[in-house]
Amino acid sequence: MRLWRKSASPDPAAAENAAAGARYASAKERLKGDAQETARQRLMIASVIFGIAFTAVGLRMGYVSLLRDGAEPTQRVAARGGSIQSERADIVDRNGAVLATSVPVMSAFVNPHLLLDPQEAARKIVTALPDLKYDEVREKLEGDRTFVWIKRGLSPREHDRVNRLGIPGLEFQAEERRIYPQGTAAAHILGYASVDNTGLAGMERYFDQQLQSGETVQLSIDLRLQRIVEREIARAVQKFSAIGATAIVMDATNGEVLAMASLPTYNPNSTRTLTNEALFNRATLGVYEQGSTFKIFNTAMALDSGKVSMTSVFDATSPIKIDRFTINDDHAQRRPLSVPEIFKYSSNIASAKMAVDVMGPEGQRAFFDKIGFLKPVTTQLPEVASPLWPRHWMKINTMTIAFGHGISVTPLHLAMGSAAMVNGGILYQPSLVKRTAASDKGRRVIQQKTSVHMRQLLRLNAVEGTGKNANVPGYEVGGKTGTAEKPGRGGYRQKALISSFVGAFPMNDPKFIVIVSLDEPKGLPETGGYATAGWVAAPSVKVIIEQIVSLYGILPGDLKEGLPPIEIASTPVPAPVVPAPVVPASIRRSPGDHRKALPVRPAPGQTAAAPGPGVRRVASE
Amino acid sequence: MTLATMGSSPALDAPAPVGFAEKIWRINWGLVLVLTAIAGVGVLALYSAAGGRFEPWAARHAVRYGSAFVLMLVVALIHPKVWLSLAWPIYIVSVLMLVAVDVIGKIGMGAQRWLVIGPMQIQPSEIAKVAVILVIARYYHGLRREQASQFLYTLPPLMMILVVVGLVMVQPDLGTAMMVLMGGGALLFVAGVRIWMFLAAGIGAVACLPIAWSLMHDYQKKRVLTFLDPDRDPLGAGYHITQSKIAIGSGGMFGKGFLKGTQSSLNFLPEKQTDFIFTTFVEEWGMAGALVLLGLFTLVVIWGFSIAFRSQHHFGRLLALGVTAMLFLYVFINTAMVMGMLPVVGVPLPLVSNGGTALLSVMFACGLLIGVNVYRDAQLPRTR
Repeated sequence: MRLWRKSASPDPAAAENAAAGARYASAKERLKGDAQETARQRLMIASVIFGIAFTAVGLRMGYVSLLRDGAEPTQRVAARGGSIQSERADIVDRNGAVLATSVPVMSAFVNPHLLLDPQEAARKIVTALPDLKYDEVREKLEGDRTFVWIKRGLSPREHDRVNRLGIPGLEFQAEERRIYPQGTAAAHILGYASVDNTGLAGMERYFDQQLQSGETVQLSIDLRLQRIVEREIARAVQKFSAIGATAIVMDATNGEVLAMASLPTYNPNSTRTLTNEALFNRATLGVYEQGSTFKIFNTAMALDSGKVSMTSVFDATSPIKIDRFTINDDHAQRRPLSVPEIFKYSSNIASAKMAVDVMGPEGQRAFFDKIGFLKPVTTQLPEVASPLWPRHWMKINTMTIAFGHGISVTPLHLAMGSAAMVNGGILYQPSLVKRTAASDKGRRVIQQKTSVHMRQLLRLNAVEGTGKNANVPGYEVGGKTGTAEKPGRGGYRQKALISSFVGAFPMNDPKFIVIVSLDEPKGLPETGGYATAGWVAAPSVKVIIEQIVSLYGILPGDLKEGLPPIEIASTPVPAPVVPAPVVPASIRRSPGDHRKALPVRPAPGQTAAAPGPGVRRVASE
Repeated sequence: MTLATMGSSPALDAPAPVGFAEKIWRINWGLVLVLTAIAGVGVLALYSAAGGRFEPWAARHAVRYGSAFVLMLVVALIHPKVWLSLAWPIYIVSVLMLVAVDVIGKIGMGAQRWLVIGPMQIQPSEIAKVAVILVIARYYHGLRREQASQFLYTLPPLMMILVVVGLVMVQPDLGTAMMVLMGGGALLFVAGVRIWMFLAAGIGAVACLPIAWSLMHDYQKKRVLTFLDPDRDPLGAGYHITQSKIAIGSGGMFGKGFLKGTQSSLNFLPEKQTDFIFTTFVEEWGMAGALVLLGLFTLVVIWGFSIAFRSQHHFGRLLALGVTAMLFLYVFINTAMVMGMLPVVGVPLPLVSNGGTALLSVMFACGLLIGVNVYRDAQLPRTR
């Protein structure tokens, strides 16, 4: 009380009247010096302050919802020539070619309340922007709203045309628009961003923060190779009437993904193409039973245990009957088989025996855990799926898993594991961004000598086994087929196959892993009606390898031991690369070829009629 | 009852024992009705925020309100002398919980705010808000009149407030810290602390701003900068506010209609079920709906003040004012925040936002408020 007077006014009565209200004036004398009365006065003051604050909120409410004419102040400032400061950075391929970039655009919006004649305005707008429908525009303009977009991301010409209309109430907002200059190329890796420039899938989402803060992301992808791979699987899908396909090219020596494609695909520039089906990245989300390609891992596991050598023999004379299942061979030999024969003839029976005799359920499970097949792949994409594997890992599971059934992993798992089996035994996590020397040292999963045996087996299979159709003469291709029946209601669907081929080359010291997988391919007369991997997937792997050889200028002679390792040649590219599809030789002659730096030469087996300038030597057979 | 008869003369404080029926009668049923109406608005808004579904928020909100309602009535019927004796224990426990949450708290949204006890997730800062009110009301209840205005006697309650503010800031939860500080300040003001101390504190605070700035997290700095200049980064840190204002503005006078809000249902609005629930509501019900909701809260605050005025004991008066100030600050900070008048600090809208501990603590506080009315003429011993 004392203080109150002191601080307010020399005249106590006036001070109290002013502060506490006239109502208290009469009682003032009696309650003088009473702390309780101080409390009452101050309660009054508090309530007045609270009242003022609420009134302020109410007024602000009215201002925000009614008075401001629609557009955000921020937007209006921007429209008057200011620019938005956040600029989403580019995504580029390993050679610097731009895969995603942001361009400044103008967007037109209207405050319908300011329009003099909505119908007239709508008519004018439609003449300037013929892709809009008059009725829709008119409906927007006649609505009781204070802000409607007319069109976002106008081209400069459209902007100019709309600006000339001079409609009051129509304004422009400077925005950024994300564009993907390569169209559908690498769509599943890039993902896409929303109109508000937020990454919603793929790299755009995984590196959203980094991109928003202006840091460029450089992928491990080689755009040229990416296009080659996309074109090839598109051709295969069409030829074999498949419902989808996926392909991966990986650098076996460090886990870098050089190309990764999935069909059906989408164009990130066009929201209409963003269907769930198209957005599905089969390479990282498609969890499939991989079939016989798993024999790569089964055999490596057995050899690495030391209990099995290349000369060990397992009996494949008669089918295995276990519980209600029968395990049979597709290329039945009905005799005991050595390890290379098991691999070459892709014997399910012998593989199952090998797994059970050598490792048993526990050992097998530990091995697949070691090579990362029991958890999602760690890579720079938000879209990675968990593998499926039996919770109770029993003898029957061990047998079927030996030939790739009863466990489902993604094609990217397959690429990662295969790389480790042939590169000397080091497992690298797949990387979609360009690796620096320091980034991933890898982890040893099998012995060097086991890996050498695996190279021999894979090479053998491509020379005289199921992988013959992938062989590129002169380039020591190795590989394994895998044809899995898709599970359907109540069992496997014999006609619905996933046909995959895991290729690697050069087999003396593999640099590239190439995987192609087709979903439900149909057999053709020329394949004898077969839709199995050796007939439908292996030829695509062959085509891709032929073009890799051409693209990076690899000579058969480069493969001899003692030579420096293969470099993935790069050029300061960025122009869109349009390689001709099938015939590799034509690539080097494509008009405006900017790959002069590459020592280009024809694929072996083809006549070197007009060797390019960089040719050092011509392959001969 | 006129002011004159409400003076301090003990002869007029009729200490007649109050029967149970009388207690029930004295519960402010009108206030209870208004609170229920606000919670009803909460259920509607949460139903809409979930895209027209009771799951995951609306149904749970209704159930939580039901149990909190019972808690409120029970609290209201407990004699203030019980709270007088429990004030310190509650305060100490809540401070210990705040320490625990800072030390071992589970990380949620980049801030450590929850304590997991058995199946429950408890937000100790919500309990601390009420605890501070209780302990300060008790402190001033025990002081003689002239002591209340002396500087030295102001130090202990200041400590009580600052300990909690400090612990909450560490979490970091700027919104709650602000609320405790401002709510505590309001209590001290009504308790009779001299004006010059508030002025000094204000000047001190301004002087400390540079230090506070250097201690803030990057995201907090960004929010303050964005508040001062929303055009700085409309797509980054200013995103919340920009979207919120667009949503509110698009509601217009009468809103887009129930379940018709696009900003919220299309997920343009972050935290639409918690701190930005007001935006969700206003987009659909417009300015008219917002004013009705604000009107309901105003009624609660008026009720709170009238209860404070009518209390015959200092403890009750301060308790009532403290609770009223807390409710007011909740509403004021939240609504001012979503309309860009204050920086974005995480303060929910009481009884409307999704969130269990906040709802329980608000209803507990309302129970204390109503309790003050029920026992408005109780005789409380000065405890010192």
